[in-house]
Amino acid sequence: MFDAIVIGGRCAGAATAMLLARKGHRVLMVDRSTFPSDVISTHFLWPHGTSYLNRWGLLEKVLAVTPSHTELELVHDGISLSGGVPEDLLRQSFQQLHGDDTGVVRRYCSVRRRVLDKILVDAAGEAGVEVREGFTVEELLTEGSRVVGIRGRTREGTRVEERARIVIGADGRNSFVARTLKLPRFDERLQCTFAYWGYFSGFDAGRAHLMRRGRMGAAIVPTNFGQNMTLVFGPSEWSEAFRRDIPGNFQRALDFVSPEFGEQVRTQGQREERLYGTLDQAAFLRPLHGAGWVLVGDAGCFKDQCTATGMTHAFRDAELVSAALDGWLAGRQPLDAALKHYEDRRRSQSAAAYYDYVCTLAEMKPLRHDELQLFVSLRGNQEETNRFIATHADISPVSEFFQASNLLLINDAAKESSRGHAIFEQFESTSRQYLHNPFAA
Amino acid sequence: MNPIQPREDDELIGAILGAADEASRCIQGRSIDEVLATPDARETLRRCATDLGTAAREVSEMMRNWASHIPWESMTAIGEDAPAADDGAVRALWGFMHQQLHQVRGDLEEMWRPAHLRREVDPDETYALDKNAYDFYRPVGRNLLQRTEEFHGWVEARRRTETWQYSRVLEASPGSIARITNDVGRRTQGINFNSQDYLSFNAHPAIREAAARALHDYGPHSAGSPMVLGNTRISDALEAELGDLLKMEHLTLFPTGWGAGFGSMVGLVRQEDHVVIDRLAHACLQQGARAATRNVIRYEHLNLESVRQHLKDIRARDSRNGILVVTDGLFSVDADWPDLVMLQDICRQHDATLLVDVAHDLGAMGPGGTGVIGMQELLGKVDLVMGAFSKTFASNGGFLASRSAAVKQYVKMFGGSHMFSNALSPVQSAVVLEATRILRSPEGEVLRGRLFKAIHALRDELSRRGLTCMGSPSPIVPLLIGNEKLARIANRRLFDRGVLAFMVEFPVTPTGSSRFRLQVQAAHEPQDALEAARIIDESIAEARAYLSSAFGSGLA
Repeated sequence: MFDAIVIGGRCAGAATAMLLARKGHRVLMVDRSTFPSDVISTHFLWPHGTSYLNRWGLLEKVLAVTPSHTELELVHDGISLSGGVPEDLLRQSFQQLHGDDTGVVRRYCSVRRRVLDKILVDAAGEAGVEVREGFTVEELLTEGSRVVGIRGRTREGTRVEERARIVIGADGRNSFVARTLKLPRFDERLQCTFAYWGYFSGFDAGRAHLMRRGRMGAAIVPTNFGQNMTLVFGPSEWSEAFRRDIPGNFQRALDFVSPEFGEQVRTQGQREERLYGTLDQAAFLRPLHGAGWVLVGDAGCFKDQCTATGMTHAFRDAELVSAALDGWLAGRQPLDAALKHYEDRRRSQSAAAYYDYVCTLAEMKPLRHDELQLFVSLRGNQEETNRFIATHADISPVSEFFQASNLLLINDAAKESSRGHAIFEQFESTSRQYLHNPFAA
Repeated sequence: MNPIQPREDDELIGAILGAADEASRCIQGRSIDEVLATPDARETLRRCATDLGTAAREVSEMMRNWASHIPWESMTAIGEDAPAADDGAVRALWGFMHQQLHQVRGDLEEMWRPAHLRREVDPDETYALDKNAYDFYRPVGRNLLQRTEEFHGWVEARRRTETWQYSRVLEASPGSIARITNDVGRRTQGINFNSQDYLSFNAHPAIREAAARALHDYGPHSAGSPMVLGNTRISDALEAELGDLLKMEHLTLFPTGWGAGFGSMVGLVRQEDHVVIDRLAHACLQQGARAATRNVIRYEHLNLESVRQHLKDIRARDSRNGILVVTDGLFSVDADWPDLVMLQDICRQHDATLLVDVAHDLGAMGPGGTGVIGMQELLGKVDLVMGAFSKTFASNGGFLASRSAAVKQYVKMFGGSHMFSNALSPVQSAVVLEATRILRSPEGEVLRGRLFKAIHALRDELSRRGLTCMGSPSPIVPLLIGNEKLARIANRRLFDRGVLAFMVEFPVTPTGSSRFRLQVQAAHEPQDALEAARIIDESIAEARAYLSSAFGSGLA
């Protein structure tokens, strides 16, 4: 009998299992994969993501093989903003979520899952978690309506049954746990982006570049093995046309969003693997806990990749849920109260506002005149630029940036005007052109 | 680019589905034995099995681990190592087609087709619910008239879907019950938490009598700026009465509360001066600050330590210019208030001046109606007090109070909204004067007692139902919703179910923290509050179900 069985051994699962085991609980973690192993992911970690790794003593291992930076560049229709997340906002965020801001770092990085997930799984094992790789869960064991364990097949093909006081579904967007329990989806936002990316060596992109033009976006972020994760994304309704010629359209999209990076990738870039893609990114929420089970990470709340917060949020969940379950397992509070606390954090009004923010961005509407002017206003206002980046990354509440007195003040204090930014020349006709699917025959 | 690349996942999924489709056409109506007995069909199925199995084996590890609900193993097993002469591959494909294909096809298509094309939505409602007012703050184009169209289109979408909470009209006096029409002409009658008349003075006979008398004696019009010939003996008496209430002898009247706030700021603050303002202070003060100087610092709501730090920083680099620290007494969308004793003290330590806006609390709260300042025993001790008559005093208008004749005269001349607006009308002045007398009398205590009985009933019942009332007991009961969509739909339900409540969202509140601002009146019976709380609770639950929303209204 385990204290907890964690189904899924990646960002959410391995971290949860590790944290529970470090508190002295007996934990079994199972995953279908054998590690190192990849999974669809744009694998970006914002500073709060790396801060979690740092709190857990794993950041050094990641940064030993992964480039990291503190500043990034955001470009919207040619209007460039550079900055990083301020430490005080990071500290505030950790204090509010966890009541503890130890280990906060301002670095971000992009780490391949085959690298990161292996580090996490190993750390879970070192913490005392019983890790079973190549394990397929076939059934949830129940007593009445309560989940009490799992039945599954080991790597060797043996069928086994294991029981625990709680079963944790950390098995991603397509969660077996959620499907088996027939959990409903709430707040579904079906409009999302299609995203295609590849790994290119042959050039040095420096820090991360996140770019938008019209209805398309692109990101170039240095990652492991001397490569750059190079991503293009757009509205899912254009995906069908896009995939008629994936390599050609990939380059076309990159050229459109950033002619400079388009040129660099075309002339210097060496693609190291196939291109990967998905449009299976419609956002939703599921109930987070019930009799004998709890969900963490993408299994409980999935959002589009466009703000790249999935892994960071998985870490956040791991800390929240492991603290809650530890309180219960150690007898300090009843399970219901512990999980209600976890749910309150996950479903707070700030979380709702951020969910709305991401889902709205994922529609990939052309950037409006007022948005672009806001970006112009932010130029030369480093403090507010940094706060915008922190807001975009879910470090600072959306409500604090997008409140009337703040927006009016930024506007009043703007040191730049729209002069010198080509997008404002023929804004209306350009904006209309952007609605055209460039990949259509 | 390396020409030798494995096929991409899209192509492979297409190949799997293509092979499955071809196999389906081939199988149509035949049994496995018939297929195996027909060489062409057997060959076709064997090829399909090879194609499907090969494609499934080539699907990237990334995709398999992501789409873990797809039975990749079953598919990769098809045709694996099967000798050409063996029927094993055909049988494996046959089994897959009959047992798993239906589900797999559905799951693959879900991954491959844009999900939103599967669902019918009302585009007007989507547009109405998705946007916020800040989306239209910086319109495009050089034609000032045309560029308002986009915003108007959004307003129209919200009107058509009856999610526009503004511009409703009253059909009768706004007592504890009101009859109203929304802006597409639909009427309702309901329990009214949508009017600001905290002590129910709008219906008070003595106040109506005072208004009638002033109308009879002076007519409806003030006929001039207060600096010219707009004042009457009534306004002089009003200044004296209010000054006595606040223990601040120098009162300046303004025709609106907005004018009082804006005029005080631009009258007193010069370009080199600094304004340190609570980030949730009223809009008239925020805009006044920005009109007066670029040196505006917004501090975190109620955080006096941050005020202290800002004043220290400013004084470290500027010992020559003024600093005005600005706060509300009672914050009108959060229902909380600052520690004014400490704030005034911090200001004195740094040679800063404090201005407190008591628009919502004066008259309705505190000993003798003295508001938050009276509650903190600061009467006559705050540098500047400004307020409005529109919440408790049954009239338009506002004031600035100080203990300095010079400040009064200066703001009258340079505040703009005093000198260059017509004065309060004699009727308005008479109403406010009579209201001030009543609220200072024993009757005022009785009315405030009734008001707070209703406030407690409403807050207790909402909280008992698990809803989040913000702030402290005051005539404003902010009920936090958070998500704008949820608030807009709940508000539409409330209209139909007979509770009138003002839903506030950006620009009144920060985005993502919308709420119902329930304004309580002395005329509300506790029973009204209980009934309204029940309807509000049910309406929010219905809205949540309508939107299939899982978000609560936790404060974090």
